[in-house]
Amino acid sequence: MNRQQTLWLISILIIVFFIAFPFLYGRKDYDYIMHVCITGFFYAILASSWSMLAGYAGQFSFGHMAFMGLGAYGTALFSHYFYLSPVPTNLCTEFEIGDQYFIIKNAVGVTSSTLDQDCLTKALAVWDGSIQITPMPIWIGIILGALLGGIFGLLIGMLVLRLRAAYLALFTLGFSEILRATISAEIKITRGQAGIELPYLFENGISIFGHEFSKTDKIPPYYVMLFLLLACMAVLAWLAKSRFGLFVRALREDEDAAAALGVNTVRFKIMVFVITSTMAALAGAVQAHYIGIITPNNLMILQMSLVVAMAVIGGLENFAAAAIGAIIIQFLLELLRESFVIGGVEVDMTLWRLVFFGAVLMITLRFYRNGLITPIIEFFTRAHVASETVEKRGFQKTEDVE
Amino acid sequence: MLNNQKKSMLELEVKNLNKKFGGLHVLKNLTFGIKGPELVGLIGPNGAGKTTLTNILDGAIKPSSGTVYLNGQRIDQLPPFEVAKVGLGRTFQVTRSFRRMTVLENLYVPALAKHVAVDKSEVMRRALEVLDFLTMDHLRNEYAQALSGGQQKLLELGRLLMLDPDIIILDEPFAGVHPKLMEIIYEYIRKVNAEGKAIVLISHQMDSIFSLCKRLLVLNYGDLIADGEPEDVKHDPVVVDAYLGKDDDEDSKSTNDIKQNST
Repeated sequence: MNRQQTLWLISILIIVFFIAFPFLYGRKDYDYIMHVCITGFFYAILASSWSMLAGYAGQFSFGHMAFMGLGAYGTALFSHYFYLSPVPTNLCTEFEIGDQYFIIKNAVGVTSSTLDQDCLTKALAVWDGSIQITPMPIWIGIILGALLGGIFGLLIGMLVLRLRAAYLALFTLGFSEILRATISAEIKITRGQAGIELPYLFENGISIFGHEFSKTDKIPPYYVMLFLLLACMAVLAWLAKSRFGLFVRALREDEDAAAALGVNTVRFKIMVFVITSTMAALAGAVQAHYIGIITPNNLMILQMSLVVAMAVIGGLENFAAAAIGAIIIQFLLELLRESFVIGGVEVDMTLWRLVFFGAVLMITLRFYRNGLITPIIEFFTRAHVASETVEKRGFQKTEDVE
Repeated sequence: MLNNQKKSMLELEVKNLNKKFGGLHVLKNLTFGIKGPELVGLIGPNGAGKTTLTNILDGAIKPSSGTVYLNGQRIDQLPPFEVAKVGLGRTFQVTRSFRRMTVLENLYVPALAKHVAVDKSEVMRRALEVLDFLTMDHLRNEYAQALSGGQQKLLELGRLLMLDPDIIILDEPFAGVHPKLMEIIYEYIRKVNAEGKAIVLISHQMDSIFSLCKRLLVLNYGDLIADGEPEDVKHDPVVVDAYLGKDDDEDSKSTNDIKQNST
């Protein structure tokens, strides 16, 4: 078995391990570990898609969490404001569709039982349980959220065409902060800092092979997020191997030279923004339904820094390394929460873990520019290159002599 | 070697080309043409406008006025990637290889960019042919950043072979290149030209220019001051005064004159 095949085997074993993990793990903290895994997969999607954008295409965008937020808020607003009802409320904006009414709830912001209620709540109070309304299917919300992310990715991609390096980073940072500020300010629609609640991924539970899972069980969202990660990885692998991967790397290296060789750099720059922002939005939408609430704090620059650090520590120019880095970092951050005592002094690791994390990032940047995982992958994929070069050069010299 | 098909209509036509950067008139009403597989030298002192002209021909910058036609198609308003597809390829004064991509990947980019529906095994075969010609076959899987400066220049030339344009502009291909690699570049130029491609050679190395080119264009502060055969241009007093200078004997004579006059 050569090194390339060994790498494939290891990859398959890792995937099989994660597929089997919920059935292998049986300790008391099962739900907690499952939650860490789900969040790890979520960050892995963000880190690997950002690696395609920043590592492969060289577009250092700091707006990735904003696209994630667009997906999450897209599906949150969709599930919060749109319903189907068999009878009209005569209070809300509504349209007749077949034998149902499409209800659009009015925005009233943060409410309590003593404050003004939205039109649908008023109607439900009048109906007193006699009428059942139907929430919109969450998969439609997730798709719309992903599309929203993609559309904004297209717009931002077009706006940043002429921006490079620090200017691009600052522009996307500005976009991210504007979005966060807008969501925080539009309390009536988004409920501001209070956040907006969403139905769970499986709000009514789900039955798999005769086993009933409740809406808070971790196994169904674990597999949803794992398969979403694997799907994203498959797409990224296909892109990286195709012309797309070749051309975006060429434009990262030298945009003018790539254009002079026939590469439509504008098209590929926009495409990479659309694809990666759609992935981030999709992950955000699914994660929001898993958590059950989305707040503007999820879009904070600190969150973006976390994704950047995960990708850099794993390996910026390899999407698989970035994904593995994200999962490892997520686990490390959780494991390092355990405080300990040295010489009678308690070290509060809830704070110090971030120092540790920062130190790992700095060491990686200083000594391992390609990240910590990429060299391992390259051991399997490129270790033969040096000896091959020497061997071929020797052969060439022999031919010259002859 | 790569594409032996003779181009039926190879013609570059530059008409009344002007370029201004603010108050600076960099190219002044240039008009010239290249018909068929000519090997043309473009010379002139620093700041003459050679690179600006190259950038306009390649679509990287737009002219202030004037037109450029390649094979009957107007290209002066096209973006660089379309100009490349119409049939003009170039190298850069400072080598611009894709450093963190392998040598083979560097060669794949132009071939796959120009030809949408192309068999990848055919691209691979062509790339290996090119590497063999450039004596770089052993480096195929190395990252371009591992190559020497001269090898990176060869790689740039190899990318042009993969692009397979009708006209090639080589901007200072001999600068900082080892004599052995220079021989390969000489052979490259002659071979590619013999295959029916026009070549515009920009260089300050007059020996190379005079030994390779059959025609010279001389730019001086944006003006085309000469266009003709190397021997004629060499003795053109305007060119001598602006760029080439007088030969050693005349120089020493003038220096002595100055010394005598001053004493």
